[in-house]
Amino acid sequence: MTDPTVAEGWVAVPLRRLKEDARLISGVLLYPTGRAVGQFGFTNAADVMSICALTSAINASARELGRQLDGKPFYETHHAGADRQVFMARCTAGGQEFLFVGVFDRESSLGVVEIYFAEFQQALAMLRPEKEAKGTGPSGDFEGELNRSLDALFGPLGKR
Amino acid sequence: MKTLSQIVAELSHLPGVVVAMIVGAIDGLIVETSGMKDGAPGSPDPRKHTAALGAYLYSKATRAADAARLGTPAFMRLEAQQGHICVVGARDVVLVTIVTPDANLGRVRLDMMNAARGIS
Repeated sequence: MTDPTVAEGWVAVPLRRLKEDARLISGVLLYPTGRAVGQFGFTNAADVMSICALTSAINASARELGRQLDGKPFYETHHAGADRQVFMARCTAGGQEFLFVGVFDRESSLGVVEIYFAEFQQALAMLRPEKEAKGTGPSGDFEGELNRSLDALFGPLGKR
Repeated sequence: MKTLSQIVAELSHLPGVVVAMIVGAIDGLIVETSGMKDGAPGSPDPRKHTAALGAYLYSKATRAADAARLGTPAFMRLEAQQGHICVVGARDVVLVTIVTPDANLGRVRLDMMNAARGIS
């Protein structure tokens, strides 16, 4: 298994530990705006780009759905497929919110992923992002932010 | 036929059983649990961790037993410095107990296996 590749070095250790402890196949840590911070299990920048965009959209939809159905946002989502399962949840570091999406199979379980994600949340909460958050909402340059983070993870386009 | 809450209640009343749980065999999530006995106030609740990791260990033990051509594990006991974790499979769920070192393990084993048969 490959080590996580990160756009921001401070997440490398907790992300690697989460991957190993929870026996995740792949995962991406990202800003709610869709900018990737770190990933493991992917070799293709286009896959990460799709996952970031989808996770960001699913997170926004789940929150609104939670508000409408339950009076409070849904922060954790789990989907069990035939072979693989997807787990999405949020975490915070230095007042900045992040989203995580991870994929696992029968080598792990939702219960195991949940307990190690809770440890990941605690580890991240004690860290501070290297870059200061520029507001809580999208900057308006979604594609630019996404491309910059993918460049950091996989190298500039043409060199990937 | 006993309900799941009756099963965990009866197991938890055995001498030396600190907590009894019924846990999803695949997802490792708690289906039914008793309260914690002897839990110090403010100390972290170990039930969620024990449930998830107990079910996970049982699935690995099942694979090991299968690889050794021994069939399905009947009873799994993890002995630690300050007690035991006992696990018995029952189709889609596993029974998990945390037991003190001085517990009557024979009785715990017998009752867990009878309870598993009741679920199956």
